[in-house]
Amino acid sequence: MIDEVTLAQMNGEYLMPPDAGPAWRAAAEYGFDMSLIEESLKLTPEERLAEHQQVLNFLIELQESGQSHAAK
Amino acid sequence: MPQNDQALLMRLKDSGLEFVVIGGLCVVYHGVPVATFDLDICCPFGEENVQKIESAVKDLNPVHRLTANKLPLEQTRSSFKDLKNIYLQTDLGKLDCLGEVSGLGSYEQVFQQSILHTMSFGQFRMLNLDALIAAKIAAGREKDLDAVRLLRAVKERKAQQKELF
Repeated sequence: MIDEVTLAQMNGEYLMPPDAGPAWRAAAEYGFDMSLIEESLKLTPEERLAEHQQVLNFLIELQESGQSHAAK
Repeated sequence: MPQNDQALLMRLKDSGLEFVVIGGLCVVYHGVPVATFDLDICCPFGEENVQKIESAVKDLNPVHRLTANKLPLEQTRSSFKDLKNIYLQTDLGKLDCLGEVSGLGSYEQVFQQSILHTMSFGQFRMLNLDALIAAKIAAGREKDLDAVRLLRAVKERKAQQKELF
């Protein structure tokens, strides 16, 4: 049986770290997905840049694919 | 058009240009995963430094990307001494070079608020977190203020968890 808290998290509710400070809470309440920041902070700065490059390559490919499709 | 920031950074370093990475890539560096489609740096200007920028990208078909007719960089050499910023499109992506940063000041002031970071592809100066926040506040666009909210949260988290970088 899955409890309500787990179910809520499965549905996307963010589990605020118990020690989250005011800036972290404010950003979460503003609507940012702070789980993405948590994941990013687990990486080294170089790993963050490499991941960014991968995402960028994908987005540019997607954009070019969209432009090519629209031109047809 | 591709955007290969690592390759652009390595070329700039090899040219001998002094520079500090600013802007969106610096936001990513500090831990906020945003998609940024250009490489922004702050560097000293003057003819000699613009020539270094040119040498870094000369085989990449660089053009002044904000000019109406996309003027090739090599055709504007007579103006190198008068430039305070350069916004280029190259075959490796967009490269914006700024002589000063709002909220921080001249290159010398930006340099003083940077950190030297060693990566597998070289040592590069990045704006420190406090300076990046100040620059984003000064920039003041909605996306900059969003970044400020997240950068402040990151700063707070890093202060709590000293092992984070």
